[in-house]
Amino acid sequence: MRYAKLYWEDVPADGTMPPLVKAPIEQIQLTRYAGASGDFNPIHQDDAFARAAGMGGVFAHGMLSMGFVAQSVTDWVGIGRVRRISVRFAALVRLGDVITCHGRVTAKRAAQGRDDPQVDLDLWAENQKGEKVVTGRATVSLPSRG
Amino acid sequence: MAITVNKDVKGKEYPPFVVTVERGKIKEFARAIGDLSPFYLDDAVGRASEWGDIVAPPTFAITFRDDNADTGTVLKDLGVDISRILHGEQEFESYKPIRPGETYLCRSRITDIYEKTGRSGAMAFVVREMTVTDPDNEIVCLVRHITVVRL
Repeated sequence: MRYAKLYWEDVPADGTMPPLVKAPIEQIQLTRYAGASGDFNPIHQDDAFARAAGMGGVFAHGMLSMGFVAQSVTDWVGIGRVRRISVRFAALVRLGDVITCHGRVTAKRAAQGRDDPQVDLDLWAENQKGEKVVTGRATVSLPSRG
Repeated sequence: MAITVNKDVKGKEYPPFVVTVERGKIKEFARAIGDLSPFYLDDAVGRASEWGDIVAPPTFAITFRDDNADTGTVLKDLGVDISRILHGEQEFESYKPIRPGETYLCRSRITDIYEKTGRSGAMAFVVREMTVTDPDNEIVCLVRHITVVRL
């Protein structure tokens, strides 16, 4: 039997994913993410630039939040299982914000042919005030105990 | 002051570009997110895994950029300053793991441009799709990106 961090049979049909709480957003993390991702938009680095652009100060890359959301999924189901992940950026993430990622199972599909069975998830991330900053969905394929 | 976007670039294909994934880049990217999974960071764990090497996190293909096909080029085509844009939506469809040392071909195009007026005023939505293939011409991942322009 193949190893899986989470087997398809063990996903409860109306299940909740364990939340992932990330460390408070610091400017240095935005600088590191800029370097790692290649997104050097000054709006995430330069407070004066961000204010002049009418954004009220620097804010985090949306893709950093999406990285958190993806991590919340892989922490639960294991690496290499995400087939599709999509998000909408609903609100800006500011310095000092604490982001918590959540997920809920919306569908389970039995194996089709040689493919592994799949699970659909609704995903969202909130800041410390409980405001949704990201909403999204994922499909993961999970090994079966078979 | 209100601005306009050049909608003529809808359908434009950008020149294909090639990326070779560096091992250190995968690790740098995972660490920047604060995701310290050994399957991204530990070569020995990766070698002994089902993939035979470390793999990239689900959003790693966002690092696949080229001067002739990146956001800066798209903004030039749209006639929009970088200070006006926000990231609206993002999607990754994954078919094969992204692996260190592999070389991938990236083809990017603008698939749609539409305008909407929301709570924060008039906005243009620019939809971009990038297809990433390996040397066997197998699709590794599809990347969809929606940029929002504050008009």
